[in-house]
Amino acid sequence: MDTLHNLLMGFAVAMTPQNLVYAFVGSLLGTLIGVLPGIGPVAGAAMLIPLTFQMTPTGAIIMLTALFYGTQYGGTITSVLLNVPGEAASAVTCLDGYEMTKQGRAGVALAMAAIGSFIGGTFATVALVFAAGPLSRWALEFGPVEFFALIVLGLSLLMGLAGKSMIKALMMGMFGMILAMVGMDPVRGLPRFTFGHMELMDGIGFVPIIMGLFGLAEILENAEKRFGPVFVSRIGSLVPSREDLRRSVGPIVRGSVIGTLLGLVPGMTGSASSFLAYIAEKKSSRQPERFGSGMIEGVVGPETANNAHANGAIIPLFTLGIPASPTVAVIMGAFLMHGLIPGPFLFKDHADVAWGIIASFYVGNVILLILNLPLIGIWVRILKVPYGMLFGIIMAFMVVGAYSVSNSIFDIVIMTLFGVIGFLLRKLEFPLAPVVLTLILGPLMERSLRQSLEMSQGDIAIFWESPIAVVLLCLTALVLFAPAFKFFRRGKGSLAGDDEGA
Amino acid sequence: MQRIHQVSALLFVAFSAFVMKEALDMEYYTRLGPGAGFFPFWLGGLLGALAIVWLFQVSRRDGGPRDGAFFPNKSGLVQIGAILASLLATAGLMTALGFQLTMFLFLLFLLRILGRQKTPAALIVALLGSVGVFHIFGRYLDVPLPVASLSLLAKLGL
Repeated sequence: MDTLHNLLMGFAVAMTPQNLVYAFVGSLLGTLIGVLPGIGPVAGAAMLIPLTFQMTPTGAIIMLTALFYGTQYGGTITSVLLNVPGEAASAVTCLDGYEMTKQGRAGVALAMAAIGSFIGGTFATVALVFAAGPLSRWALEFGPVEFFALIVLGLSLLMGLAGKSMIKALMMGMFGMILAMVGMDPVRGLPRFTFGHMELMDGIGFVPIIMGLFGLAEILENAEKRFGPVFVSRIGSLVPSREDLRRSVGPIVRGSVIGTLLGLVPGMTGSASSFLAYIAEKKSSRQPERFGSGMIEGVVGPETANNAHANGAIIPLFTLGIPASPTVAVIMGAFLMHGLIPGPFLFKDHADVAWGIIASFYVGNVILLILNLPLIGIWVRILKVPYGMLFGIIMAFMVVGAYSVSNSIFDIVIMTLFGVIGFLLRKLEFPLAPVVLTLILGPLMERSLRQSLEMSQGDIAIFWESPIAVVLLCLTALVLFAPAFKFFRRGKGSLAGDDEGA
Repeated sequence: MQRIHQVSALLFVAFSAFVMKEALDMEYYTRLGPGAGFFPFWLGGLLGALAIVWLFQVSRRDGGPRDGAFFPNKSGLVQIGAILASLLATAGLMTALGFQLTMFLFLLFLLRILGRQKTPAALIVALLGSVGVFHIFGRYLDVPLPVASLSLLAKLGL
């Protein structure tokens, strides 16, 4: 009953005209980012943060989360129409989606993907509503010891599942944490790695670093390629037949469950969910050999799963204060910048904010359904804008975004520097997702470790005295050392590229 | 290709050694528990150890990275250099010339020279991206963008 009451209160917050506008703008920009090459959800969310400074914290997070799940919708459009995934999570959709386009059924593929995404996103939001209470009450029992163990587990999952090499993922995790050490020591307030520069006293801003690593690095990578003009095929009718609808029911149900469950696991990316959903469809089909030739199940299953994943990935952030993916980590950064700490205390101290944001997910998914069905023609037209024009506009936004975080030209230089670093790391096949996560979680991890050791006066045995911490640390050891997890790594390894992790 | 990976691994080792050295200059441990240098010291050490493992991995003949040029084409490299130089020039000139003029020139360079767009289209987008963004951010988003420090340009409203 409490949950229903809280949700209704959340709808009262989410349905204010101001917050509806923020949800609309976030959904619109998310779809745009999903459609456009050269910018992903991580850099997109980071770029948007400076624009939220004048907003209420609720409005800001509503806009950023809408952008996050909006990119999943947008990524489908290029996968189906151009055979080019707008986002890594939509890569598997190309297999059958583009075949449907060649058969003149692009409209049906896009319509069913949008409907599946809507249902998947809504399903995961319902899961969030029911998980929020019990999980956050459980997390309230956490002290610094348990919190430290939880962060270690979260990070080990993220690194263990990121990319093809665990060594490289761990290196990137350490690198991100070292970057997070720059600035004031969180416990004693002493400067670290500032080298006498006032600009570094507050640390290196995570927005310029992320825009450099994810936004500029991608533009530099694309500068080595040549982009030709885009030819978009005819979309055809958007109305699915009764047979299309019948065949989509199973994939939508399975995709919703797979996406929501995998979204809960830190490190599982949207592409892992869509890939597993595709495998599930193929295995449950009576005609598995026809997959890859324009089967609607191959489009609806993965698209439902990646959207359910995007919404499901918010659950650990809201209940435990742990981001499950790089974009969610950026959203966590936005929470902190607005003076809110995501986690169990959010429901206790700022219930209106927490439930307002959750209710906005329903609203956002409805907006995205409207944006992606009747307005599909507009997105197709945007696809035709030449890359030579787009990259300039994206760069201008990155410069403005980097500058306006703290009105500092120094941040433009930082963004440029990390653009070069990101470009070289991509060339060396390092996964960049762990950098973002440890950059955000590093200070929290250090604070909880030092608080724990101060409580025990330096005795490390404090970590074995808490049963919760012991379980979490044992799970960490399992993740890092047990070969059983190779299953997941194999699944990810088969998906090309460094998934931003949406 | 293998040499580049080896050099990169050594750079990581050097970086981690630097972090450890800096961390040791801070308080490592205090009466109350770990000091400011404790966490960075161990992070530097772990990064260094991992970089050494990676160095061994890439130095193995069979397990080393595949052959192929690190930068496949020179024109791409020139393009990358131009993008980076224009970004640094933008950062360097923004205080003197102000946001509007600097961004106008930056966008014009990116769109006309690097993006090879037609001049009228490049001019319109550059104008919107500079003067337009300046006014939108200043008036509606309450994010002031820099004005020129040169008095002549400042008098022109730039």
